[in-house]
Amino acid sequence: MAVNPTAENIIEIRDVHLWYGEFEALKGVNLTVKQGEVIVLLGPSGSGKSTFIRAINRLEEHGRGDITVKGIPLTHDVRDIAEIRREVGMVFQQFNLFPHLTIMENITLAPINVRKWSREKAEEIGMKWLTRVGIPEQANKYPGQLSGGQQQRVAIARTLTMEPEVLLFDEPTSALDPEMVKEVLEVMSDLANEGYTILAVTHEMGFARGVADRIIFMDYGRILETGPSDEFFENPKHDRLKLFLSQILHH
Amino acid sequence: MTAITQSLSQFKGSIGQHFRWDYFLQDNVTSSIWLTIWVALLTMVTAVYTIGQVASSPVPTLIIIAIWVAILGLAIAGGLFQKHTKVGDWLGSNLVGSISNALLTLLLMLWLASAFRSVLSYAVINATFDPALTAPEVRTKDGATWGWLAATNSNPEVIGGARDLLLYGRLDRMFVPRVKAAGLIILALALLTVAANKTGVWQSKKPVSQGLTYAWLLSPLILFILLNGVTYNPDKPLINFSTLIMGTIGVLLLYGFSWWQKIVKYSLANVIVAAVAFPIFYVAWRFLAQSQLFPVINVDTWGGLMLTLIIAASVILLSFPVGLILAMGRRSEVRGIPDWITWPLVIIFTVWGFKTSTPGLLADARNTIETLIAFWPILIVAIGYVIQQGFKGNIVAAFSTFFIETIRGVPLITLLFMAIIMAPFFFKSGTVIPNPYAVIIGYTVFSAAYMAELIRGGLQAIPQGQYEAADALGLNTLQKMRFVIFPQALRILIPALVGSFIGNFKSSSLVSIVGLFDLVGIAGSVVGNAQWLGLKRELYYGMALFYFLVSFTMSSYSRRLEAKLSTGQ
Ligand SMILES: Nc1ncnc2c1ncn2[C@@H]1O[C@H](COP(=O)(O)OP(=O)(O)OP(=O)(O)O)[C@@H](O)[C@H]1O
Ligand SMILES: [Mg+2]
Repeated sequence: MAVNPTAENIIEIRDVHLWYGEFEALKGVNLTVKQGEVIVLLGPSGSGKSTFIRAINRLEEHGRGDITVKGIPLTHDVRDIAEIRREVGMVFQQFNLFPHLTIMENITLAPINVRKWSREKAEEIGMKWLTRVGIPEQANKYPGQLSGGQQQRVAIARTLTMEPEVLLFDEPTSALDPEMVKEVLEVMSDLANEGYTILAVTHEMGFARGVADRIIFMDYGRILETGPSDEFFENPKHDRLKLFLSQILHH
Repeated sequence: MTAITQSLSQFKGSIGQHFRWDYFLQDNVTSSIWLTIWVALLTMVTAVYTIGQVASSPVPTLIIIAIWVAILGLAIAGGLFQKHTKVGDWLGSNLVGSISNALLTLLLMLWLASAFRSVLSYAVINATFDPALTAPEVRTKDGATWGWLAATNSNPEVIGGARDLLLYGRLDRMFVPRVKAAGLIILALALLTVAANKTGVWQSKKPVSQGLTYAWLLSPLILFILLNGVTYNPDKPLINFSTLIMGTIGVLLLYGFSWWQKIVKYSLANVIVAAVAFPIFYVAWRFLAQSQLFPVINVDTWGGLMLTLIIAASVILLSFPVGLILAMGRRSEVRGIPDWITWPLVIIFTVWGFKTSTPGLLADARNTIETLIAFWPILIVAIGYVIQQGFKGNIVAAFSTFFIETIRGVPLITLLFMAIIMAPFFFKSGTVIPNPYAVIIGYTVFSAAYMAELIRGGLQAIPQGQYEAADALGLNTLQKMRFVIFPQALRILIPALVGSFIGNFKSSSLVSIVGLFDLVGIAGSVVGNAQWLGLKRELYYGMALFYFLVSFTMSSYSRRLEAKLSTGQ
């Protein structure tokens, strides 16, 4: 967890603006992420959290500013995009498993076709990750036959089999029943301890306090406040953040 | 009615408490005046029809009435004594659920039986199958004369059969063996594929599935050689070196492009294969031409069933990929051409048009319309405006949309006429496009426009998250489509696609209107032939049966495919 202060910057985001048509969803975001850092993004609904992390792997296209991942600038060049997507894995709120493929096929599809691994290698590493997330016995089932928590763990295994260095999580537990949230959070905490660089949008305050190195508060498309997780909750400075914290801590 | 009341009064004493006679009457007869009238009318009609049937053919009719009474009995037993059986319940709810349903069931059973008996006596019992018995004197009045349809007319002196005409149209009979070979090859491939799938060999033995796939991929070429023949002009050199070199470069470029798009891998062996593929093919082709083993067939003489199948199969096979490309084009989100490029170009072309063409046109204009036409360069501005405003400069989407909407706005017949009349204009003068090919192109374009919208609907039904997950995993567009989107879209699309294939197959008979002698076209001339006068019914019944069987096969295959593809859902 504790990030090595000499670790190099893995993501550099400078003055990023993003427009949906006329609407400016990101209004100049700056952020530098060090290798191995775990960052949690907080903010009210519509503040631009999803937009922000989706811009990092070009699921949304930013209009102005620079995004650099592992020294690769994110441009229109499809090769740059492809290379960045290989380094950055993403886990979605709705899991987005491919329903027509078995769990193992879901996991090995990208390694075989993008990383050009042999099927054997892809299955071996895929199986390793399935075992890590605790459901090796489900390999030959289809996503529809699994519980929500299991599906999300498969989605995590699918992402990790591609061996990315950065993991983006967009509210990974919000679509889960309460009793399944824990199993997914445990997997995420393990990954954080293992040195993955993580950017997670989540409302799980336990995770934010216990695991994150840094918390970022966004509103109206801007980063309003950022700080180490312990300080962040103790003395919030910005009024919006105080209001936000009082609201979510009430629940 | 009578049966119901009888059985009811008979059992009235032992009716369970659940049954309410007054409710029953109200539900079935007296709840509204219209229902009462309907039941009364139905009762009368059924009674009259039944009596008529009993009089005309007592035995079968009485058997059917007995079956009906048995069904009623089963259903009533279930309802009255709570003795529920699966069969009884099904019959009760589906066939005799109410008094009017019970009557309708009887009516339909009787009618179907009598229809079946008439068909049987016309088509089989009183029919003749002997090709020799087709002359007007020997035809029986109440039976079909089938023989002439299946017999050959090899000897024009004798009244023969229409088989060859119906199969091949006016095709020179010396080419018939080649057509038969083509048909046999496709049949054999189809049977082998089905067998390999049924026995599981397709899945377990890779060489088998690969071999069959290659054979299928090669089959259009083989069919072309057999059905069209290979052109040979002794005045031209056997090997044209510029063609040879251009072709080789073309294949290498294609390979390079596929490698760049990560469709194929790079290896020396692949490069060598790509480099020699065209020369080998070209030389082989030219020698095949020189050998004169497969001289060219005049395609315009294609006809009959053969032409119907060629057109339907080509259109079905071609319109799917074309439609797919159009659909993807319409959905494409390629970066639009920015305003600063489009508008200068528009201005340049507009000015150029006004300078070079308008003055001349104005000078020659004889009426208002021609004067207006002289100002056509205005249209360039309009097109530029639509592309920039409506499509944000995305010309791929603009062109696909324009194409789809235009074609869908034109009736098929018009398009077929245009294909035949206008096709020559699109090629350098002197090129003759045989009518069947022109029709195939026109029909394919038509069908592809519809197919494109079907496919677009299917693609839109796939949740956005599937696209995003594939993107986030780093799959490129082609891989995303091939592995993630199409398999899911196809499952949704199968009923609609097969429906449109069936439509293509049946509507291919429209080509007879533009002067091709497909099965329907040739049938028209066959029944007009003096020797077969009065045999119209047999021919059209036969054709109806044929079209039905093919369509039915397609739709039942589609249902099985659907079931197969929905694993895991
Ligand atoms: N595809 C889109 N087109 C137009 N506007 C969009 C689109 N996606 C998001 N927005 C807008 O951008 C803003 C930021 O949205 P975003 O999804 O990033 O918010 P968020 O912080 O993730 O909210 P939530 O907590 O509800 O997920 C919102 O006002 C939203 O309405
Ligand atoms: Mg969000």
